[in-house]
Amino acid sequence: MEKICITGGKGGVGKSMFAILLANDLLKKGKKVILCDCDVECPNDYLLLGQKLGKLVGQIYSEFPKIDNKKCRKCGICVKTCLSNAIFQAPEKYPLIIENLCSGCKACGIACPYGAISFYKKRTGRVFLTKVKKNFWLATGLANPGLEETGLIAAGTKNTILRLSRKINPDFILFDTAAGIHCPVVSVLIGCDSAYCLTEPTPMGAYDLSLILELCRKLGVKSKVVINQADLGDKAKVYKIAKKFKVKIEKEVPYSKELAIAYSNGNLLNFWK
Amino acid sequence: MRTKNIVILSGKGGVGKSMLASALSMLFSLEKKTIALDCDVDTPNLAIWLNEEGGKIISTTNSLKPEIDKRKCDGCGLCVENCQFSALIMEKKYPKLNPFICEGCGACKVVCPKGAISLKPVQNGEIKIIMTKYGFPLIYGRLFPGESGSGKIVSKIKEKAEKFIKEKDIVIIDSAPGTGCPVIASVRGSDYAILVVEPTISGVSDMKKALSVVNYFNVPFGIVVNKWDINKRIFKSIEKQFKNKILGKISYNKEIFKAISSLTPIMESSLEAKNEIKKIYLKLLTTICA
Repeated sequence: MEKICITGGKGGVGKSMFAILLANDLLKKGKKVILCDCDVECPNDYLLLGQKLGKLVGQIYSEFPKIDNKKCRKCGICVKTCLSNAIFQAPEKYPLIIENLCSGCKACGIACPYGAISFYKKRTGRVFLTKVKKNFWLATGLANPGLEETGLIAAGTKNTILRLSRKINPDFILFDTAAGIHCPVVSVLIGCDSAYCLTEPTPMGAYDLSLILELCRKLGVKSKVVINQADLGDKAKVYKIAKKFKVKIEKEVPYSKELAIAYSNGNLLNFWK
Repeated sequence: MRTKNIVILSGKGGVGKSMLASALSMLFSLEKKTIALDCDVDTPNLAIWLNEEGGKIISTTNSLKPEIDKRKCDGCGLCVENCQFSALIMEKKYPKLNPFICEGCGACKVVCPKGAISLKPVQNGEIKIIMTKYGFPLIYGRLFPGESGSGKIVSKIKEKAEKFIKEKDIVIIDSAPGTGCPVIASVRGSDYAILVVEPTISGVSDMKKALSVVNYFNVPFGIVVNKWDINKRIFKSIEKQFKNKILGKISYNKEIFKAISSLTPIMESSLEAKNEIKKIYLKLLTTICA
């Protein structure tokens, strides 16, 4: 089983479109494919394929602290320990937890000398799975709205699908990431066999490509470049970056009005027949 | 009128946030003191949109990473057990850190009974300022690839920008895609939000997610529909749903790629988008000054 990541740094360069195109190519070769949407803040693959989210196959929990005021002696150690600034204490008062800022690291509970901090579980994300057609499954990770730290949800989605894949036994799992280069992207890229890095022929596309290629290099993930809307704009800067990082330009996808329309309406499932 | 912080966000990436931010900054700067903040610290592109590069470093940013003193460590494994992010594993009787998934929370340091773990600052990014040729400053932050902490860099950009912002200034904040920590840090404290959407089912779905962040902070908002003519059916449904919240629309033109590639700012091009953005600017002006 091969684990392929589809990423790109810049937003809107066609990551999801290419992930579906790649899935389609593999299906045509008779391969079994799971497409796993790890853009957990804004997952779109199911919309582009005209699908429902499907069956709930995994739930991701974080543990948040709760202070027992009967045991708390207002010493303030938890406040000093919390590096996310999620615990606030007014003079002479009991500390207050600001859940939205809490990373769920539990350091406060370890530090409290009076055992006044306990933890409760709260669901922060969900993983869905649906069978799109023969040999083709779509998984979607979805973070709770308003959640700040979504890296754990992206990682949890990936791990849930890796576990489930033992039952489905696919030839390929395609992991579609969020835009950017921060934690939700890093946690998906780690451990993949290779990555397709999408870009567009603009100076912004070239610059953002250099960032994602550097990230892949640091994480030790073999990368290839795909240029979307390759016939518009100017590819020279993208070629230069690819050369600098010694990576191959795997594919150039030309602009297509028909594709843009199918994309906008969520009709990509049967587009590349 | 006091200072106005205007944040631009969209949920979905690549729908025109930085394009609009660059054009609006240029327009505002003709009449008011303006400052632009690029808070998409993962992939900051606003400088390129303004045909600028470089700049002066005004701050560096750090994240904390644990360092294990093997002379003190007895290999008990408590740090590995207590790391909620699975960033530590036992290797040859000692804990080993995977720095790429470490959140720098310090739980390992707190739990270590031997005092073998200390937290060391590691530079994870930098904040720069450019005085643009259009007469307004651009402050932007940059997260280094492989580091973590983009939300905190956004907060630091805002903090550093404060000393450049005076009464009555306009602050244009270009946010990252998504709805997570860097976006929340961008929206927090803003006076007005512009949501950019393209008429695709994914664009609309993501814009509504971004809107829920805006509503959470009770920030008044307006909507700009970019590439409105690529799907007129969806455009109409956006119009119907958001009526008077719509600030304006921008037409799709493949030529924009050529303008971008030759580093011509939209407001100096001959594209229809230029006039459409001017209209958006005028509507925005009456909305925020009302």
